[in-house]
Amino acid sequence: MIAYYGRLALLSLKKNVLLTGLMIAAIGLGIGAAMTTITVNYLMSADPIPNKSERLFAVQVDNWSPNEAYDEPNLPPDQVTWLEATQLTEAKMAYRQAGMGTSYGVIEPKGQDQKPYLASVRITYADFFPMFEPPFLYGSGWTAQADEARELVIVLSKEANNEIFGGANSVGETVTFSGNVFRVVGVLDEWEPKPKFFDLATGAFNDMEDVYMPYTLKQALELDTSGNNNCWKPIAEETFQAFLNSECVNSQFWVEFEDPDDKHAYLDFLHNYVAEQKQLGRFPREQNNRLHNVMEWLEYQEVVADDAQMMMYMALMFLIVCLLNTIALLLAKFTGRFGEIALRRAVGASRRTLMLHYSVEAAIVGVLGGLVGLILAWLGLQGISALYGDSTEGLTSLDGTMIAVGFALAIVSSILAALYPTWRACSIAPAGQLKTQ
Amino acid sequence: MLKMTSVRKTFRTDTIETHALRNFDLQVEEGDFVAVTGPSGSGKTTFLNVAGLLETFDEGDYQLDGKSVQGMNDRQLAQLRNEKIGFIFQSFNLLPDLNLFDNVDVPLRYRGFNSAERKQRIEQALETVGLANRMGHYPAQLSGGQQQRVAIARALAGSPRFLLADEPTGNLDSNMASGVLDLLSEINAQGTTIIMVTHDPSLAQRAQRNIFVRDGQVTEVQTGTNIQELLQQTAQV
Amino acid sequence: MNQIGPIFRALLRNKVGALLLALQIALTMTIIVNAIHMIENRSSMMARESGMDEANQFHLMYVGYKDSFNERVAVETDLLEIRKLNGVVDATQINSTPLSGGGWSMGLTTTPNSQDGTPVSLYFVDDHGLNTLGVELVAGENFSPTEVTYRLSNDKQWPQNILLTEAAAKNLFPDLTPAEIIGQTVFIRDDEPMTIKGIIDHLQAPWVQWSNVNNVMLVPQRGLWNANRYLVRTEPGERDRLMREVEELLLAKRDGRLIRNVTAMDEQRDDAYQDFFALQTVLWVIVTVLTLVTALGIVGMVSFTVNQRRKQIGTRRALGATKGDIMRQFMLENLLITSSGLIIGVASSIALNIWLVDTFSLPRIGWHYLPIAMVVLVIVGQLAVLGPARKAANLSPALATRTT
Repeated sequence: MIAYYGRLALLSLKKNVLLTGLMIAAIGLGIGAAMTTITVNYLMSADPIPNKSERLFAVQVDNWSPNEAYDEPNLPPDQVTWLEATQLTEAKMAYRQAGMGTSYGVIEPKGQDQKPYLASVRITYADFFPMFEPPFLYGSGWTAQADEARELVIVLSKEANNEIFGGANSVGETVTFSGNVFRVVGVLDEWEPKPKFFDLATGAFNDMEDVYMPYTLKQALELDTSGNNNCWKPIAEETFQAFLNSECVNSQFWVEFEDPDDKHAYLDFLHNYVAEQKQLGRFPREQNNRLHNVMEWLEYQEVVADDAQMMMYMALMFLIVCLLNTIALLLAKFTGRFGEIALRRAVGASRRTLMLHYSVEAAIVGVLGGLVGLILAWLGLQGISALYGDSTEGLTSLDGTMIAVGFALAIVSSILAALYPTWRACSIAPAGQLKTQ
Repeated sequence: MLKMTSVRKTFRTDTIETHALRNFDLQVEEGDFVAVTGPSGSGKTTFLNVAGLLETFDEGDYQLDGKSVQGMNDRQLAQLRNEKIGFIFQSFNLLPDLNLFDNVDVPLRYRGFNSAERKQRIEQALETVGLANRMGHYPAQLSGGQQQRVAIARALAGSPRFLLADEPTGNLDSNMASGVLDLLSEINAQGTTIIMVTHDPSLAQRAQRNIFVRDGQVTEVQTGTNIQELLQQTAQV
Repeated sequence: MNQIGPIFRALLRNKVGALLLALQIALTMTIIVNAIHMIENRSSMMARESGMDEANQFHLMYVGYKDSFNERVAVETDLLEIRKLNGVVDATQINSTPLSGGGWSMGLTTTPNSQDGTPVSLYFVDDHGLNTLGVELVAGENFSPTEVTYRLSNDKQWPQNILLTEAAAKNLFPDLTPAEIIGQTVFIRDDEPMTIKGIIDHLQAPWVQWSNVNNVMLVPQRGLWNANRYLVRTEPGERDRLMREVEELLLAKRDGRLIRNVTAMDEQRDDAYQDFFALQTVLWVIVTVLTLVTALGIVGMVSFTVNQRRKQIGTRRALGATKGDIMRQFMLENLLITSSGLIIGVASSIALNIWLVDTFSLPRIGWHYLPIAMVVLVIVGQLAVLGPARKAANLSPALATRTT
């Protein structure tokens, strides 16, 4: 029967090409705009580490000024100080934990034909690798002993390894970074979690760092601080150590629990830790310690850009206009077919049968509109990535889910659009329409 | 076979109430060929719509094939129309986008026959009306008489027990009309019950049985009665 | 009497069609008004001047990586050599530039240890700073060559004299004229005093979306950290050549540094406002396509109505209606529907704007958007009807006597 309806639908669609074309174009444009913007929003708010986002927590403690909160309403800083990054990591009170920050430096050329390479650096602890699970091409992360002993070890991103070693297995090789000789212990494969959830300070969709090295080297080598550094209290002295010991927040601190419920025990620990620090004259504000798991953190940090949301709302309204358009056109179209509908009713089609029949026609329009919409969405995403440049890399690809969502949206919305016109058409009394034509 | 007892049908608007049928009693037996005549506005068409289950009625009882149709839902009514009733309309009501084969196919599709049976029935029905060789043509390519024959084929294809015809020759010249009526007589002779609404007394006379509808009520008349006269009387009343 | 039902239903059917069209127009107006408002809002932000001579400036970053790299020698000789190049107006070392998105801000107060600081962004420049940036003094004096000092990474001391933008000075001393502000003392790091030596007309902070973007302080110091930046101002038309020449000049020294991000200021501007421009483009596309869809929708609807009313139109024509009468009928019908849609549209435009103001802290729309949008949409609607209406007007009166 469906095949019969399909055949009749195609016949009817072919009969009025202009009207059919308009409907398909309207749905296609609406779906295209909606899918383009929904995809960007969807990718922006995607879970970057689905297998353990429930167990990874960003830690906040409030070391800010007694006179004003870091941000209203009484929010603690988004980052932590060097003191917390090191002391909380070394306390080892969670299953895994890693303080981290960013730096930069120049990797010196190995041969005559190479150029010096300005590298961005993530300084962190050994647990970083098992916590965030970056894929390794060669070797592995460093050990906790390396952290403690402040060994000059380095993990290269795939890109850095390509730049310096031409992509070869460089584990065991050395690189000279800002005058110090480091031993390569691991090389990562492609790794671009979006959003870059563990460090949102300078942008949620920034590139990953070029190289990774122990956080403990920051003090040992007096590494420069890059990224976001925020202070409320003047730094006491003109020494690097005074900067480290200051109340400036410039590092991130994450913990992993085996069970998300362990957060309660960890909050108790933080409470005690802050109480101890208060004894030392730090933390002038009330206790205000917070743990957010990955998705909570992305929500709290409002990772989905306002612009992206605004665009999505505009596009969704645009889709509604397109659907209103389709409803009106279908209504006009079905109104022109009252005679046929009455005849079909007379010869034995029930209302339900006819509803089904005309829904098939609407669904065909929906599928075609969906197809056009997905093509437009693909083009739209190319456009977005061209307009926004690198900052949207990885945020403009249609995956299987979004293609399915696009089709579902197209078919559901065209059937919804067809609902009223079909109902109107099928509820006409057959008697009145048959007598005069 | 078809039995209406005290059927009443009223149309209402805010200001006017019109009794289209009142105390309408009629019994039609299997194999009858009934012609229904009456002045315009007498309720002929309403009667046919009620009989054909296209319209509901307000009071009374209507039994089709021994079963009361009252209280049936849309699907049950649709099924009855599909299986037991064939319609023939004044303006043919063929679907212009479909060829003859597909036009005759319409009720069969709702019947749920398999494609072999449908094909066989369509061919036979078109054969009966003498248009088997034009199956692929579209309605617009046919004359009015031919179009009505297609409509008859469509009505016949599902082997209904009843054929309801509403002014089947109203849009045809007398030559064509006569041909269509011959066809109906033939069909009746093969056992199909026919109820035909017409205003043409000469056509009515070719039916086995005549009834006259006036003010929504039935008067049975002898076949051969001068209906023209009856109509004139009505006009004078 | 059977006809009453269908007639009533036909009326209802037309009503629903008209209502749908009116709603579509209302929503179209809502989207257009708010989208153009957003576009305008971004445009006005993009139109703000950085205060610089952007067409004739570029900057570059250098990073020393060898122990042998001597920051102080480098900055002194580099600047002397760059300034001597043919076509260079002036050059200075600077830690950051407007529109760059990265820099340094501090709080200034008028009394020591006060709570309410005025946030200012800092640019470290030498006595060539003003000329290189292309800013004008409103009051006071420029730094003298002798007061430019050198600053190490962890230095906490601040120099005696500073320059402020007029906006920053007004923030600190709302009641004084620029001339009166010269010589006043402001405090940094709670209690370190500095004297305002001069006031410049206008210069932006590095962050374009910062609420204090016009608050800038110039500090007469050269930074001796290993990564820093030069800003160069050239004669008109010489910039692109000098971008290459300066880079080559510095690289030729082979003194253990690399050069990155040689960037023209107007390119910097495009980068800074890339997201704004992108949003504007996306919204323009939506507005254009939306208007098109609405117009085509009207064309489709009216064409269909014309087709359905062929006989009616023929009858009217047969009864003496002129072509103009027929056209007017359709145009008027559309005008009525469009107008009712636009009245709903005014309310929904304002409602959406209120929601946008609440959710995304966008400014309110100016009232003038509403009448403009209404006029535009009425015109679009009338243009869309024109084609099908003309087709209707050209229908033959003979249609009246045909059956279908």
